[in-house]
Amino acid sequence: MLTYIIRRLLILIPMLIGISFLVYLGLELTPGDAVSHLIPPELASQISPEKLDEIRASLGLDKSFLHRYFNWFWNMIQGNFGYSLSGGVAIHEIVLDRLPATLELSAAALLISTFFGCLLGTYSALKRGSLTDSSLSVAGMLGVSIPEFFFGLVAILIFSLHLGWFPVGGRLMPGFDSWFDHLPNIVLPSLVLSMMMTAGVMRYSRSSMLDVMNKEFMRTARSKGLPEWRVNLIHGFRVALTPVIVLIGFRLPTLIGGSVIIEEVFQWPGIGAEFIEAVRGQNYPLVMMIALLSVFAMLIASLIIDVLTAIVDPRVRIGEK
Amino acid sequence: MTSSALNKKFDRIKAQEEAGLLSSKRGSRALRKLLNNRLALFGIVVFSIILLASIFAPWITQYDPGRIDLRSRLLEPSWDHFFGTDSLGRDVFSRVVFGGQVSILVGLGSALLSAVIGVLSGCYAGYKGGWIDVIALRISELFMAFPQIILVLLLVSIVGQSLLNLIIIFVISGWGGMFRLARARMLSLREEEYVQALRSFGISTAAICYKHILPNALGPVVVNVTLTTAMFILAEAGLSFLGLGVPLNIPTWGNILNAAQDLRVLQSYWWLWLPVGGTISLFVLSVNFIGDGLRDATDPSQQG
Repeated sequence: MLTYIIRRLLILIPMLIGISFLVYLGLELTPGDAVSHLIPPELASQISPEKLDEIRASLGLDKSFLHRYFNWFWNMIQGNFGYSLSGGVAIHEIVLDRLPATLELSAAALLISTFFGCLLGTYSALKRGSLTDSSLSVAGMLGVSIPEFFFGLVAILIFSLHLGWFPVGGRLMPGFDSWFDHLPNIVLPSLVLSMMMTAGVMRYSRSSMLDVMNKEFMRTARSKGLPEWRVNLIHGFRVALTPVIVLIGFRLPTLIGGSVIIEEVFQWPGIGAEFIEAVRGQNYPLVMMIALLSVFAMLIASLIIDVLTAIVDPRVRIGEK
Repeated sequence: MTSSALNKKFDRIKAQEEAGLLSSKRGSRALRKLLNNRLALFGIVVFSIILLASIFAPWITQYDPGRIDLRSRLLEPSWDHFFGTDSLGRDVFSRVVFGGQVSILVGLGSALLSAVIGVLSGCYAGYKGGWIDVIALRISELFMAFPQIILVLLLVSIVGQSLLNLIIIFVISGWGGMFRLARARMLSLREEEYVQALRSFGISTAAICYKHILPNALGPVVVNVTLTTAMFILAEAGLSFLGLGVPLNIPTWGNILNAAQDLRVLQSYWWLWLPVGGTISLFVLSVNFIGDGLRDATDPSQQG
């Protein structure tokens, strides 16, 4: 098991180097000088051109492209992400500031979609062919077809503007800062964000459950005289769940991608809204760094999913050898 | 079923067969299955209506989508203006049908282009194997490690906004999936006996690959093209809604929805964004139904 994890970790390193190289190449192609990315702009304006050249030389910016790339990479590994072009704030501070909001929203959406997706999918499978089953299938199709932000707009119109149940957007009202105070704010964005994923999980857990229901061990369980709910839930659902966990891992990019637009729609002050702001303001260092961090998060997530499946399903481990 | 009822049924089938009723069904089995699927049929009908309305936009609306008429601003929907007019007095219905041209072009065009690039490279890499395969696979992995929208926004910030740039960006972000799909099919097909026979005849690699194996791998590719089209249309709508997709002066579905970023529009002028949002949803829904129907019709493992 340990060798498996170590091997998976070793694969990550070339991936990370390759992607950071691509991203750095992108940074090179954009207008602007690297010095402006490294020192706060208000400081840069006070420095004479000769001094700037000196700084460039001292930072190794007069060196070759590859040399500079490794310098940048080394800095990044040590946690020095450079500075935002607007306001000259260190990028790691921006990220640390915005990350909790995004994590909160994503975690809520992940929980909601996993719960409802598994529930509805399993129910659909147990009642296959019924009217409920086919309406749930069509509803699932609608869920992946309606643009998330449009769904968000409709939700704001109905629940915030007309009914006034939830605030229009934002995360914290001034003066309120405990977790419960922003519970009303998170309801709409997390529900909207979970919509597409709920549909995916539902479809997948339905087919996974249908698969399991024809298995021999289900018949064995029934013939032992176990009650039907016990057969379905304890024996069937648990087995059907394994592939669903994998799917949830694969859906993480959808979640990250969806949260970018949903944060913007609901004025949720997370990384996604910051990212869009950075793209609009051509704040290249920030754009690059957030993109890189999102890739890093996905690689780590897929690693965790792989390890989890290897723990749950021994066939994966053996297959790797 | 009793045996006499069963016999009757067989007799009926036999009679039909002798009368030539059963063999008269022409067309491929897959096509018939697709048309028998009610949801897929619904998808085809809705898809065709929206597609035709967009193609023949100049004939079905007398308004120019870009003509500003300040005397008729923010009119409610009526027989003159099906979807009302926007804050500059432009006819929203005309903008939706003309916008469909661009949105469908971006969605379908990028999906087809990614399919061509992904399938051609995937088939070759999968068939040849060796270092070409390894390098191509690693490159596709690099691009697929990004969440799609992050990669798209990253590229938008590097190359800037334009219609052509957006299509190129979508292709860059979408070819990897097609590549892996085609490559995986190729890996299993290249060991088939007919391929070995072709090789022993000395037929060139390209001919074996593209002329003889590729047609057998097309089913999943076609399904994937429909699903990718749906994804790109959603992506275009989202990006343009944020003001980062197609430049705002070109009407697209996303650009029309852009007006809804204003809370006042959201609350008071529903016709500016609700009909176009519904159109996007219906169109993507129809494409997804078609894709699902195609999968059921072409993939034998999904039957039953």
